[in-house]
Amino acid sequence: MSFKINILLAALLVSCALALVNSQYKTRNLFIELEKLQQQSRQLDIDWAQLQLDQSTLGKNARIEQIARTELNMAPLSPARTQYLTEGDK
Amino acid sequence: MKRGGNGVNSRVAASKGMSFSKSPVLAVSLPTWRSRVVLFVLFAAFATLAVRALWLQGMSNEFLQKQGKSRYERTIELPATRGKIMDRNGQVLASSLPVKAVWAIPEDVLKSPPGKLAELARLLDMSNAELRKKLNSDRTFVYLKRQVEMDVIAKIDQLDIRGLDTRKEYKRFYPQGEVMTHVVGFTNVEDAGQESMELAQQKTLQGATGSRRVIKDRLGRIVEDVGLSKLPHDGQDLTLSVDSKLQYIAFSHIKEAVEKFKAKAGAAVVLDVKTGEVLALANYPTYNPNDRRVLTGEQLRNRVVTDTFEPGSTLKPFTVALALDTKRVTPNTMYQTAPGYMVIGDRRVRDMHTYGALSVAEIIQKSSNIGMAKIALPIPPQEMWEIFTKSGFGQQPKFGFPGAVAGRVRPYKSWKPIEQANMAFGHGISVSLLQLARSYMIFARDGDIIPLSFQKITEPPVGQQVISPQTARQVRTMLESVVGPEGTASKAQVPGYRVGGKTGTAQKLINGRYSNNRNVGSFVGIAPMSNPRFIIAVMLDDVSGVYRTGGWVAAPTFAALAASALRAANVPPDSTVTDIIIPENPLEDNL
Repeated sequence: MSFKINILLAALLVSCALALVNSQYKTRNLFIELEKLQQQSRQLDIDWAQLQLDQSTLGKNARIEQIARTELNMAPLSPARTQYLTEGDK
Repeated sequence: MKRGGNGVNSRVAASKGMSFSKSPVLAVSLPTWRSRVVLFVLFAAFATLAVRALWLQGMSNEFLQKQGKSRYERTIELPATRGKIMDRNGQVLASSLPVKAVWAIPEDVLKSPPGKLAELARLLDMSNAELRKKLNSDRTFVYLKRQVEMDVIAKIDQLDIRGLDTRKEYKRFYPQGEVMTHVVGFTNVEDAGQESMELAQQKTLQGATGSRRVIKDRLGRIVEDVGLSKLPHDGQDLTLSVDSKLQYIAFSHIKEAVEKFKAKAGAAVVLDVKTGEVLALANYPTYNPNDRRVLTGEQLRNRVVTDTFEPGSTLKPFTVALALDTKRVTPNTMYQTAPGYMVIGDRRVRDMHTYGALSVAEIIQKSSNIGMAKIALPIPPQEMWEIFTKSGFGQQPKFGFPGAVAGRVRPYKSWKPIEQANMAFGHGISVSLLQLARSYMIFARDGDIIPLSFQKITEPPVGQQVISPQTARQVRTMLESVVGPEGTASKAQVPGYRVGGKTGTAQKLINGRYSNNRNVGSFVGIAPMSNPRFIIAVMLDDVSGVYRTGGWVAAPTFAALAASALRAANVPPDSTVTDIIIPENPLEDNL
């Protein structure tokens, strides 16, 4: 009787040990995955900062003015050429 | 020892013939204590080993544990990014991106083929000789170049040079360049602020690096966190009060004016009347913060904040406001300014033109020094000192801006009458352009003054009353008349808007003496007059040319700047467009 219990317990112990190995393996894999995703999120943050910077560089007033004047042949608006509409005017 | 002795005997008994130990040669009887000593020494050695093992295993195991951990655990530094700086509309003015520093172990790198080194030099943007010079060093660690951008690093990695390595760091980029640099400032290679807001807000902008301990597997992947990790804290983003659009307008007009009037330098500042925010702060000459290889003091100088000058006539409204506020005069009180000069003590005060009898309003309009002297002299010095001080002159500014100067207002007890008269028209007193612009708050804001802010604020601050609202309104009317065809600043008129302001021309102090041909022309204006939104101050330093007064150089710069700024800010016009009259020979400012 006690021999059978010993066998059973031994088998149980071995399966527990194997399960532990397996779960440890899975944990590490998931952890690696998590690390990878976190790395990706950091990279996206950097990309976003880069894009914001590009937006600011390209949207520089000096550049806009220069393009408006030379390429689009625009001129600054002057009040003399502006029609102002006031509320209540007939 | 007995037992051992028996053993020997039994072996002897078992052997045949003459036993080994019975050999007569060996039959020397050794004293028994010798074997005892050997046994004791052996026992002691084992005991020592056991104790040592016990000690290392159980009692003092920290050192070995640590050593063991260092074989499989790694500490990773978690970098923190410096906060971004943005303008009031969220446009990025400064932002950090990761770059890498390239460093080398000279001995190893010098062993690589010359072709690769030449290629490396080209990638690092330096000559071959320069690279060799850096490598010819006794040290084992040499920075070849810092803040190298990532695409270059990728190419360097491909070269695969032994002894070459990189270290992560950050580089600060300033997309707005020279336009914004006097507001934003810059950082050094260590990511520490050096100028302007980068320096002022260093504490909040900088992050705190964190660290974590991990276990890495054979492939270098992190498989487990061990112990506590310290989270990195990124620096806080900073939203400035400055408006990119207005800043560009201010900058381009100042640049144009400096070139047009051949001035040595120019500066302008735009303040929000309602909130005290600094909307624009421009300086010329300037520099590009992204490329600071050649920097001169002239370029770095922030003339709005850190330079003081004698303001000249722009200070006249303060004494007039005081006289009005204390009911000593009304706008219509008449003063005789003929014959164009006046003797106070042993000094002369003079006007450029002889005007005859002028009312207080006209004294401001025509900027008469004699009129001002006559208004100022009956006022006790202490009262004048108080209004100057309350308006912020001579006070250490609380702008939160590095290098902001206090200017100088001498203690009233030492004022002589001539000095008091001089101060009434802005001589013998020094102020910064920013102080001057702020002081005009008392006129633009119905008599109170509010603190300035370089950061965007949500709630308007509480003001401190300096003069009564009625006085402020009276002075505003006078300031508007200055800009009229009869005033000294007819060139400051802005089509479509009612504006007001005061010109100032001051001789520069060169080696302690007033120079006759070098002066600072300034203009401080309020726009639009019907509901003041902006205070705009313009200063042009050392103008060379025929016309050098504030009315000729600073006033038109103000007008151009104000016109663009009002339009950019969508301020509805409060005047008709066509009623601008600029006389052919506008009245000149008094020096």
